[in-house]
Amino acid sequence: MAEVSTPTTSDVEDDGGLRRSITGKQLFFYTLGDVLGSGIYVLIGLVAAAVGGAFWIAFAVGVSIAAITGTAYAELVTKYPQAAGAALYVNKAFGSRVLTFLITVSFLSASFAAAGSLAGGFASYFSTLWDGPPALLVTLVFVAVLTVVNFIGITESVVINMLMTFVELAGLILVLVIAVWYIFEGNADFGVLVDFDTGDTHWSLAILAGVALSFFAMTGFENTANVAEETIDPHKSFPRSLIGGMVTAGVVYVLVSMAAALTVPTDTLAGSPAALLEVVRTGILPLDTGFMTKLFSVIALVAITNTTLVAIVTQPRILYGMAKEDVVPGVFGKIHATRRSPWVGLLFSGAVVCGLLVVGTLVPAVEGTPLVERLALVTVLFLLFIYALVIVTCLKLRGTDEDERAFRANTPLLLIGLLGNLLILGWSVYDDPTSLLWCAGLLAIGVVLFLVEYFFGSRSSSTSAGATKEI
Amino acid sequence: MHVIVATDGSRQSLAAAKHLKSFADPAKITTITVVAVIRPYAAVAFADDLAPASGKPADFDSLSFRDAADSATKAVAAVFDGWGPKVQVRIRSGSPANEIIKAAKQADAGLVVVAAGNRGLSDTVLLGSTAQRVQHSAPCPVLVVRPAPRKRKK
Repeated sequence: MAEVSTPTTSDVEDDGGLRRSITGKQLFFYTLGDVLGSGIYVLIGLVAAAVGGAFWIAFAVGVSIAAITGTAYAELVTKYPQAAGAALYVNKAFGSRVLTFLITVSFLSASFAAAGSLAGGFASYFSTLWDGPPALLVTLVFVAVLTVVNFIGITESVVINMLMTFVELAGLILVLVIAVWYIFEGNADFGVLVDFDTGDTHWSLAILAGVALSFFAMTGFENTANVAEETIDPHKSFPRSLIGGMVTAGVVYVLVSMAAALTVPTDTLAGSPAALLEVVRTGILPLDTGFMTKLFSVIALVAITNTTLVAIVTQPRILYGMAKEDVVPGVFGKIHATRRSPWVGLLFSGAVVCGLLVVGTLVPAVEGTPLVERLALVTVLFLLFIYALVIVTCLKLRGTDEDERAFRANTPLLLIGLLGNLLILGWSVYDDPTSLLWCAGLLAIGVVLFLVEYFFGSRSSSTSAGATKEI
Repeated sequence: MHVIVATDGSRQSLAAAKHLKSFADPAKITTITVVAVIRPYAAVAFADDLAPASGKPADFDSLSFRDAADSATKAVAAVFDGWGPKVQVRIRSGSPANEIIKAAKQADAGLVVVAAGNRGLSDTVLLGSTAQRVQHSAPCPVLVVRPAPRKRKK
């Protein structure tokens, strides 16, 4: 791919033997696909329930805060174009091993919980197609298949990545087409777009709740740091593609939420587990509703699969990095001889997600919500904290490792983004104080792991040294 | 003749390089290019098993797959030190089979040397082995070095 043109930067110079393969366009679609799948299909109903017909405003604000966080990532990635992401930046800025380790553990647990809840979302859309198998079986098979796919390495295909992103976009465009059709028929009541219905809660809290929920629909963009090292001309193309992808996703989200508000009564949206499906079910387009519903379910399945795949690629990669750094046992760094995949890490990630799903079914409800959903919501606190910390890191690292080619995020915007992240974090804790206990519990597990490896860690490094001597 | 030696950082790829050296005539080889391919979308884009164990744990900063590919190519290139032909290293990224074939075409290579993994179930059941795809569409002869049958204890 890099062959088409030979850019003049030193990075891509053929004689130096360095070739990078990901173009700005591919990175754009990677970001878009990663962000689009994560939550819009499920979250839109919750946001509508919190705010009322004007919930697109909450989406606009949430998406903007996420995009500002994206600019901090873009600045750091252009400074340190390596695959380690947030953990690397925090390590650079604060130099604290414990903090770095805890960030990694937080990120990992957020990723596990997110994969679990995505698998649940997959099962609920799947049941609209075929109601036969129990949800648990569907989720387990889903996770197992994705693990095998990652082991073989099918995900490495740029073509499949692009295709899935196009399918995701097509689903959301379908929603927009329905809305435009509805408007042209003259049935749309634009009054609903400024209708606040926040129930008993104070309007500012309601909007904050909506903003927080819509912010969650943007998570996933941080995974693009995965491919930073292989991006052609990263100083120019990375900020452009990352922020461009996020803004595009944001615009699509706002339009889709407007479309949903116009076509479906807010109560119906709020009460539906698969809210966007309701838009298709209205039968506004003169096509067979049954067929359209099925088509849309398939699209939603593809969208969820795409995002879950990226999560399942990221987890073993983090484990691999930690094994190299000797903070987790060396086996996580084991690479399969033929496939060159970190098979122990892959198996472990798959097993953890499956374990979560099984336990979640056996213990159906914790404090009124299913366990996996609960964990997903709790670990979002970690993500918010990491995002806020990344913005702080970005500001703190100003002046060090400066490179004139590096992208520089707008400072006032960063401060607004930091404030936004902290507000959402504050709201989440205020709304749900017990989540702090959960976070403390998960972090405690992390600390115990750290101490165990700290005191007994020398064993694993000696075994890996032994393994190298084998031949 | 220009020879491409591919490495994926595995010990088998080092064995393949040694195998080439064991029988080929250095006088007939003008250049050897050691090629490593980074797979950006894979969980681990490049793993280097050839680096000497430093004993010191790596830093988070060093999770650079490019560095891993770099050290793997150097380790393989070291096999040909002082053998005669000019040795150069190339790191590419993308799909391994495609990139090896492209490298062979660009260099107008006369031979490509690749390692094949285990003779096991995984090779026959799971599709898309790099060695198979390279020998299928390379522009020149391909030497596929298979692992020795297990007689040494593992």
